Amino acid sequence: MMPDTRLVRRLRRSGILVGLGLLVAAATLFWPHPTSFLVFLGLGGLLVGAGVLLYLFAIAAGPADAAPGPASTDG
Amino acid sequence: MPFLDEALVAVVLAAVALIALIVLRPSLTAARGGRILAFLALLVLPVLAMAMGLSVHVEQSKSTEFCLSCHVMEPYGKSLQVDDAAWLPAQHFQNNRIPRDRACFTCHTDYTMFGDVNAKLRGLRHLYVNYIGGVPEKVALYEPYNNRECLHCHAGARSFEESELHRDMRAELGANETSCLECHDMTHGVSELKEQTLWTPAKEARP
Repeated sequence: MMPDTRLVRRLRRSGILVGLGLLVAAATLFWPHPTSFLVFLGLGGLLVGAGVLLYLFAIAAGPADAAPGPASTDG
Repeated sequence: MPFLDEALVAVVLAAVALIALIVLRPSLTAARGGRILAFLALLVLPVLAMAMGLSVHVEQSKSTEFCLSCHVMEPYGKSLQVDDAAWLPAQHFQNNRIPRDRACFTCHTDYTMFGDVNAKLRGLRHLYVNYIGGVPEKVALYEPYNNRECLHCHAGARSFEESELHRDMRAELGANETSCLECHDMTHGVSELKEQTLWTPAKEARP
């Protein structure tokens, strides 16, 4: 078991953002319409972009910033 | 592009599965292998999936169905079905002179090095106009139709090259000094569609 550090929390949030973004982006591919392209870029792209940036921030700040957060369990 | 579609589904599924693993068991990232997994799941695969998704969307945006999904384009789609050979788009569409599933794009892209990119940039502008800017009362081309787009297919074709009229003005047509549309002037004619009978294709018989 790993302590619920900021790094872990950030990785989880990043994963949720990227996962949601990918699901939104995948859903738009079944609808050939200009609106679906907007949703792909505007929502899917935004979520994936935010998730990826959060991941990069997490690994850049991770080791020095790995103070324990509020008590909780992971997994 | 069926291959790209299948590859995209595989990449998205792999990314989502790995992300679920990282989210549910973050302790994996304590080991080096887990960190590589996280790198793949949270950076490499999502970026790859979005790039492939963008490519699929760009391909989809070339389809006739995509263009005609905007309300303002409906009459232009109807003009492809006019039962009159004088109607230039209808004649091309109904006789398979252009691919039916890419009818709009085939004639309205620029056949230049960055023609497809320019066409897609114009498409973005259309999105803006459709949702935010307001659709103009009269839909018109940005610039006069260039013969280059016609000659992309017709140049070298026997029916074109051996026609006496074409032969007499071949140089002018090639230099875009005389527009093809000066003679072939019945294009979409959306204001006259009401008086026209429409062609209904029989069920497609393919060998």
